[in-house]
Amino acid sequence: MIRLNYRDSKPIYEQIEEAFKKLIISGALKKDERLPSVRALATQLSINPNTIQRAYNELENEGYLYSLKGKGNFVSGLKDNSSEKIEILIGEIAERMKEAEFLGMSFDELVLRVKEAMG
Amino acid sequence: MIEVKSLVKTFDGFRALDGATLKLENGSVYGLMGPNGAGKTTLLRHITGVYRQDEGEILIDGEKVWENVAVKARIASIPDDWFFYGQATIKEMMQLYKGLYPSFSVERYNALKEAFPIDENKNIKYLSKGMQKQVAFWLALSSMPDYMILDEPVDGLDPVMRRRVWGLMMEDVSSRGTTVLVSSHNLRELEDVCDHVGIMNHGKVVLERSLLELQDNMVKLQIVFKEGEEPELLGVPVLHDSKMGRVHTMIVRMCPESALNAVKRYEPVVAEAVPLTLEEIFVYEMGGLDNEINSILI
Repeated sequence: MIRLNYRDSKPIYEQIEEAFKKLIISGALKKDERLPSVRALATQLSINPNTIQRAYNELENEGYLYSLKGKGNFVSGLKDNSSEKIEILIGEIAERMKEAEFLGMSFDELVLRVKEAMG
Repeated sequence: MIEVKSLVKTFDGFRALDGATLKLENGSVYGLMGPNGAGKTTLLRHITGVYRQDEGEILIDGEKVWENVAVKARIASIPDDWFFYGQATIKEMMQLYKGLYPSFSVERYNALKEAFPIDENKNIKYLSKGMQKQVAFWLALSSMPDYMILDEPVDGLDPVMRRRVWGLMMEDVSSRGTTVLVSSHNLRELEDVCDHVGIMNHGKVVLERSLLELQDNMVKLQIVFKEGEEPELLGVPVLHDSKMGRVHTMIVRMCPESALNAVKRYEPVVAEAVPLTLEEIFVYEMGGLDNEINSILI
């Protein structure tokens, strides 16, 4: 379910964080579904439990998860934090657009092409 | 907690340890790196009570290790030359471990047969080097120690077995709070499993940090400034700066966000913050880059 890319320059906790975000946003993990325990994931991925805990903490801070003491981490509903999430997405899209501009595309052309691509 | 204070050990006039100091909280995984001959193995052998120091102190949960059976019963060690009796089978060595470690679990030993598919009635001497390492892990993990001291432990293990062994170790760390001290040259692997790292050189621990701190406080910036501009960066602690074409690669002692913010006002064409790998940290800390350049010039 979670695959780490060792050639990626991103730190591992960020990769885990992003993998779970994708699963949550895509609906592969449903609201109130339990995430694998820190222990299980540390064992499965052979990485330090603190790294997993950090990823879970960040996800919780960003509102993707909630944790119940002694029970584990669960997926939160998406609605209450959608505005924040949109901010993040806009940041990411802007980053990509800059790249495309760098490659010589004009802004208008880009918007047009993206519209097409979105169908 | 493992505390090593200003340890000195001299072999035949050579100071293998020259005031080594190290601190390791319980439940943490500490990676010890350092060039060949830095004193890693010597240090680990002191912590497991094999060597006796000339000066300094080693305390495990406040108690001295040397000749202290009660403390040593809580430490499992996999040295680079793991000991087994010449004629012993795995099962016989298991009996020995069971006698040495009050916490030894035969149940765990049996459960781990699945992870280590070797016939327990085999003579260890006839096993390959990698399989002998597996046996060492099998017995160490079955001993349910509070402390694991490992000297280049995954050397000789195949990739599948390495992952499996680290997985088992991480399970112990998260479920039982096992404290692990591991020396290795495989920095990629240390990066995954450790939460603290120490770098040794010339018999001293020259750097000791939490990995989080390292990742958050040091970053590699790749910057291209506008044509013809080479601004002096103010308030940016640059540790290292190299230039290839117009691309600057700088090692900066800042967190990624503030580093990017700090260079924003120079309006770079491209500015990217890339986290440092352990390998890079090691190279910069050891001044390895200069060595590299020197060797090319010669």
